[in-house]
Amino acid sequence: MKILIADDSRVMRQIVVRTLRQAGFGDHDLIEASNGREAFDMAKSENPDLVLSDWNMPEMTGIEVLRQLRASGSDVKFGFVTSESTPEMKDQAQAAGALFFIVKPFSAERFDEVFAPILG
Amino acid sequence: MSVEVEVNENDLAEMVEQVWESYLDPEGINPLIPTYDENQPSEVHSSVSITGSWTGHIVYASSTEAARRAAAAFLAMEAEEVSQEDLTDVLGELANIVGGNVKAMLPPGAFLSLPQVVLAPESSARFPNTTRISGVYGIWDGEPVSISMWHSSSDNNQEEGA
Repeated sequence: MKILIADDSRVMRQIVVRTLRQAGFGDHDLIEASNGREAFDMAKSENPDLVLSDWNMPEMTGIEVLRQLRASGSDVKFGFVTSESTPEMKDQAQAAGALFFIVKPFSAERFDEVFAPILG
Repeated sequence: MSVEVEVNENDLAEMVEQVWESYLDPEGINPLIPTYDENQPSEVHSSVSITGSWTGHIVYASSTEAARRAAAAFLAMEAEEVSQEDLTDVLGELANIVGGNVKAMLPPGAFLSLPQVVLAPESSARFPNTTRISGVYGIWDGEPVSISMWHSSSDNNQEEGA
């Protein structure tokens, strides 16, 4: 499977990759985007099976990326990995079609719990 | 409209503890030891701003050495290998994580800025018309680290004229 990790923070992309490996998902093809616009473009051009996106990013926010993907007909599996988490954000994410909402700081156990059903 | 914000030092300390448990001290051997000294020195700092239902700043400050060690822990590398870019990125992320967690406790309608990093002491920073309302100050592996919350007085009509 191909997983797109979208976060403007290089550090956080690195931590997400490391945590995916620790949770046993390191064998998947991991690709990265460093802002929302890039995430949208790569989600279209690279056809990932899953997108893990930050919320607060330059160019386009994560929720804008998800909404535009859905508006463009993409039904790629999409969820948020973000330091921001409010009930309103979770509602917006769910309404837009997000599968999960992981809050930073996160653990490998949390990744396993969320991704095992999705990635198998 | 004035908004009472109940993010106290215990809440802040709990968020900071989670960051330590997840990234900076996963094995539980090097916790942040409280000093309660809000004037402890720093050499670098990072901040995020929150606007909307609450307006203010979250500031992470530390010695350069503590920032280097934090970057090494975040990026799983040796402290000697940490570049300036690593250090600034990790400082930004630390402010972002704590800021995001603070935002989660605020009334709906708060917006978080992208982080700003300054390789200079926190004492050189000025956040006009703000008051420090909460903070966690400690020593991590012998090095000073602090996380503080600054509230903009223009945000709260009740405090105007204070």
